[in-house]
Amino acid sequence: MAFTDNIESAFETIGKDNLSEVRKTALENFKTLGIPSARHEEWKYTNIKTKLKENLKLVASAESQVAGKAKINVFKAIEGTKLVFINGYFSPAQSTITPQSGVVSGSLKELRSQYTEVFAKYFNKATDSTTENFAALNTAFAQDGAFIYIQKNIKATQPIFIINVYDAASSDVFTQTRNLIVAEDGAEVNIVEDFQNTGGEKTYNHVAEIFIGKNAEVNYTYLQIENKQTTSINSIEAKLEKDARYHISTLTFEGQTVRNNVNAYMEGENAIATLNGLYLGKETAHIDSHILVDHRVPHCDSHQVYKGVLDDESTGVFNGKIFVRKDAQKTNAFQSSKAILLSEDASVNSKPQLEIFADDVKCSHGAAIGQINKNELFYLRARGIDEATARGILTYAYGSSIIDAITLPELKDYLYTKLKERLNIAF
Amino acid sequence: MLQIKNLHARVGDKEILKGLTLTVNAGEVHAIMGPNGTGKSTLASIIAGKEEYEVTAGEVTFNGKNILEMSADERAREGVFLAFQYPVEIPGVSTTNFMKAAVNAKRKHQGLEPIVAKDFLKMMNEKRQLVELDKSYLSRSINEGFSGGEKKRNEIFQMAMLDPMLSIMDETDSGLDIDALRIVADGVNKLKTKDNAFLIITHYQRLLNYIVPDFVHVMYDGRIVKTGDKNLALKMEERGYDWIKEEVGA
Ligand SMILES: Nc1ncnc2c1ncn2[C@@H]1O[C@H](COP(=O)(O)OP(=O)(O)OP(=O)(O)O)[C@@H](O)[C@H]1O
Ligand SMILES: [Mg+2]
Repeated sequence: MAFTDNIESAFETIGKDNLSEVRKTALENFKTLGIPSARHEEWKYTNIKTKLKENLKLVASAESQVAGKAKINVFKAIEGTKLVFINGYFSPAQSTITPQSGVVSGSLKELRSQYTEVFAKYFNKATDSTTENFAALNTAFAQDGAFIYIQKNIKATQPIFIINVYDAASSDVFTQTRNLIVAEDGAEVNIVEDFQNTGGEKTYNHVAEIFIGKNAEVNYTYLQIENKQTTSINSIEAKLEKDARYHISTLTFEGQTVRNNVNAYMEGENAIATLNGLYLGKETAHIDSHILVDHRVPHCDSHQVYKGVLDDESTGVFNGKIFVRKDAQKTNAFQSSKAILLSEDASVNSKPQLEIFADDVKCSHGAAIGQINKNELFYLRARGIDEATARGILTYAYGSSIIDAITLPELKDYLYTKLKERLNIAF
Repeated sequence: MLQIKNLHARVGDKEILKGLTLTVNAGEVHAIMGPNGTGKSTLASIIAGKEEYEVTAGEVTFNGKNILEMSADERAREGVFLAFQYPVEIPGVSTTNFMKAAVNAKRKHQGLEPIVAKDFLKMMNEKRQLVELDKSYLSRSINEGFSGGEKKRNEIFQMAMLDPMLSIMDETDSGLDIDALRIVADGVNKLKTKDNAFLIITHYQRLLNYIVPDFVHVMYDGRIVKTGDKNLALKMEERGYDWIKEEVGA
């Protein structure tokens, strides 16, 4: 594969910074791991090797590192801090940061030299660059991304938006971006991360590391809404301490090839994690949700609800692993994975994986693949609604429950509207 | 308005309608009675356009057009309405949104712009009061958790919203308490004009005290075997179906 051929010289161009040592190790790891083939157990249904174009570059040219001209007009109606990244680089001109004492947010590239202790303690501690191919690549090459740091007992009063915009200037770059999110003990924050591809093909590898301290809360909404020609690998890795609360929703409405690794590590007792997802595929899209909840200590709850809608020749993958370690007694783990197929050529591979080594636990999982209900369809059509719209309405009815569970009211309204647009319905 | 001639229909190998003939003109109310399983709901479904039934012979025209060639939604936009015997619950879509989509589908068919929000709300309020349906039901998911009677009222509310030419009511009265029956019947009477028509499927003459039919038909074994005026319904109520079965030689 071409972009890995001259990986050393690409690496040289990044230059030295205070992460150089971590990067170097990660580069060595990646050189051993490489890009996974379809023989790799975790990449069986997503042959990523064939999805990554040959001529991709790992580091953008100097020109395309400068913020492009892409116009940002999302989330205008919702108050909050807006961190805007153009082609992977922070754009101060397009960002607005609402100041609040104890709430730090901005560019990782800029803030890492200011918050050296936080970086030393957390950076690269949630992902495993020794085993995860793309985490290693990301650690070696990622230069910018969002840094969010909520200090002890601080509740961020406004949501923080991370808006990633890509335009045609970065079409030939395999962009590597990295978030570090730290909520110290008792802290609370709502984060919304959005990806927008304004034109052309796009390939990126994004890693978000999230640390949720004791009795802290992070609500994270991850949006892949306007990303038609995007091939992306997304890894969202969260570590939860005692009494921590974590709610992640991933909403994928578009994408050529999308891989979402959503991992939650339960490391303190009484922590609660909710992992929800809604993915909609059309044409030849391929959307792969790889979920892992690792119960490492007793008395934690985890709850997963994933819903897929696959149309045309699109394909979906749901791989939901629940790992309950020997010590993790009194674990409560729930998983539901559903998908509806709107066409005969659409398909989904659903693979729940429960690995339970403790004996006093409550774990349940359910998987269902179905079609639009005929009686419901007839009911709508009998009121004059044409078939395509009726299908859209029923799909909306099915998928909108994932939006219902999101906490920010204004964001919900925005998402309901986007879902209606995506399904071509209006009411 | 509606003309059915010698209609034969089946599901799979099972023949359900066996030569049914019926004419409904504007301004008329027709009642259809008949024992369980004789094909009343099947007839209603075929007029409304349910696809699982196969018409093997006969014809159905609506205002001169062959509606068997139209999809269910086209028929509805042309003015056919079916109040279901068993309304479907649809979690996740509110009745308000559902009706907005339905009203606008009809308007589009008529070459009109989508309805203005204010007018729509006004219309909703007016129509729900017609069947005394509380406002809160409209923001709930369609029929979800509604009682049997509430579902039936919701059907008539939808009927009022869409102002159809031909309304088919399939056992709208079953499941309604005495007060609700009167409310629904009053609502239907207010919707009656010289230009529309009603086809009321029922097992009980009670509803017909409120909505007085011009014709009463008795259906048996996939056909209409007897037609009379409102007194026929009274006779059915008194004497049951045995005499009909004897008459047709079953
Ligand atoms: N989809 C179907 N598949 C198989 N059989 C069917 C189907 N629909 C109707 N039938 C059968 O056709 C016959 C007529 O049914 P239909 O529901 O029309 O009766 P009905 O006159 O409305 O009865 P009721 O008074 O009980 O409502 C019944 O024997 C029924 O079981
Ligand atoms: Mg019936």
